[in-house]
Amino acid sequence: MALNPPLDRALDVEVPRTRLGVREAVREFCVRRPLGAVGAAIIVLMLAVALLAPLIARYDPVVNDFAAMLAAPSGAHWLGTDAFGRDVLSRLIYGSRTALLVGFGSSVLGATLGAVLGVASAYFGGRVDLYLQRVMDVFLSFPLIILALALVAILGNSIPNLIMAIMIPMIPRSALVIRSSALAIREMPYVDAARAAGFNHRRIILRHMLPNVMAPYLIMLTAFLGQAILLESSLSFLGLGVQEPIPAWGLMLRGAAVEFAEAAPWMAIFPGLAISLSVFAFNLFGDSLRDALDPRLKTQ
Amino acid sequence: MHRYLIKRFLLMLPTLFGVALVTFLLIRVIPGDVVELRYSGDRGSVSQDIIDRERARIGLDRPIWQQFMTWMLGIVRFDFGTSMWTGAPILEEIKLRFVLSLQLAIMATIVAVLLAIPLGVLSALKQDTWIDYAVRLFSIAGLAMPSFWLGIVLILLMLVVFKWLPPMVYTPFWTNPVQNLAQLIWPALAVGYRYSAVATRMTRSAMLEVLREDYIRTARAKGLMQKLILARHALKNAMLPVLTVVALEFAFLIGGLVVTEQVFNLNGIGLLFVQAVAHRDYTLLQALVMLVAGSFIVVNFLMDVAYAWLDPRIRYR
Repeated sequence: MALNPPLDRALDVEVPRTRLGVREAVREFCVRRPLGAVGAAIIVLMLAVALLAPLIARYDPVVNDFAAMLAAPSGAHWLGTDAFGRDVLSRLIYGSRTALLVGFGSSVLGATLGAVLGVASAYFGGRVDLYLQRVMDVFLSFPLIILALALVAILGNSIPNLIMAIMIPMIPRSALVIRSSALAIREMPYVDAARAAGFNHRRIILRHMLPNVMAPYLIMLTAFLGQAILLESSLSFLGLGVQEPIPAWGLMLRGAAVEFAEAAPWMAIFPGLAISLSVFAFNLFGDSLRDALDPRLKTQ
Repeated sequence: MHRYLIKRFLLMLPTLFGVALVTFLLIRVIPGDVVELRYSGDRGSVSQDIIDRERARIGLDRPIWQQFMTWMLGIVRFDFGTSMWTGAPILEEIKLRFVLSLQLAIMATIVAVLLAIPLGVLSALKQDTWIDYAVRLFSIAGLAMPSFWLGIVLILLMLVVFKWLPPMVYTPFWTNPVQNLAQLIWPALAVGYRYSAVATRMTRSAMLEVLREDYIRTARAKGLMQKLILARHALKNAMLPVLTVVALEFAFLIGGLVVTEQVFNLNGIGLLFVQAVAHRDYTLLQALVMLVAGSFIVVNFLMDVAYAWLDPRIRYR
């Protein structure tokens, strides 16, 4: 964050200490926010499962096995099989890739684009701010799922399109939150200093203001992650998101899972648990992060 | 006060117009149109001539801006036109579905408020104790569980434990209230629980903030009973943001029930929306989105009015 390069280099000497600082911060977070630590642990576990899916899964998630249709949980299929004889656990494991890809893709893009817009809106103020706010108001008036549904209908339902459809409704929500934080930062002396030093708008926005709305940005990002995973599973559940045979949790709840809910409840229960657990983990982590970063909410 | 209200009211109009414009354009970007879809069953056997004539009949051949003007003029006269797919008047198509979705939204809101306020207050009062943690876990879990899955699990539980299924055919409330409630209480619980999570968290943080105010300390210092402080000083001041969250969620709920309605086989606004997208029924889609977004904008406006009325500090800004 330092303004001149020599100072940056001078700081390099103390790098080991900063690393220790991170470790200490993590340890303190774990001790003071046990719930958040649990959330973080679940997230790390999910990431590991998604990365190592081919090593962990015992079956191919897309190959049908009609000899083992609707099999109950057993030693061979821990969580049973679905109407096509596909192993539910293996589909869940591969499904985490879809969920995390769409979740991270859409919420990182949505939150970041929104943050840039929000900061720019606050920085320029005046007419730019006014018009941007009006446009954001319009998009905020649509429920998330309605806008996402319309966008999926327009774009089609491949995974990149799904990420777009979920990302776009998030932009105005992110811009709204970030703008209000940025309004306060705009008045800070260091922004004035940067302006006086003759830096251009882009540099001031990206280098001086954006890093300082990191706290609300991170809080929002974790909230978006949970929402994005839920939204993806809702769209897939409606048949408008990820398409068969790609394994996705929402898709696994569609059709046969409801039809055979009584005879083969494992098909309906486990994918829902996977969705809930992952959203739960992101929310848990996000909540603790907010408590830790927002000084107004600190324990007296 | 009056100037504030008038300004706020006028601010609503460009937003409504923007919503109309965005809706109108977005819908027309969806590939395919209603005529193409209607004849897609017998592809090739229908001549281009018939398709063109059908398009002309429902006005799809006119320039976009003309179609938009016609629609806007209709809205001003409260005439939403007829459905492009069924030919029935839009208001007829929406009316019955709207009653159903509205009832469900109201019931879910009642469930949510009954859960959220006591839990939120309790959680704030016992901040950082196991009670606080339990309440927060409960509400975070509510946010995490997709309501459609909760619906499936609820139905499954009733089937296994009570060997009973809620009625699957919709009966209007006035025909048979018992039958009606027996069907709608389950989706209301599934949605209400999720919705309560947001309100609980809001109640908790609003209470935490209020409890730190000077006037609470003053009330305590002058020896008021804890109960009185909570009811008269804290809760009353903490309710404003909670009211906002509940009202805005309610406005979104009417149209946001898409997935829940699917699980419980309810023929509401959400299901109608999905069908309208599938049929490219422009007129119906436009009306539905305007209904949903419009109610959000109006509720938003009403909340600002309520704020200005309840909190004198805002009027002078």
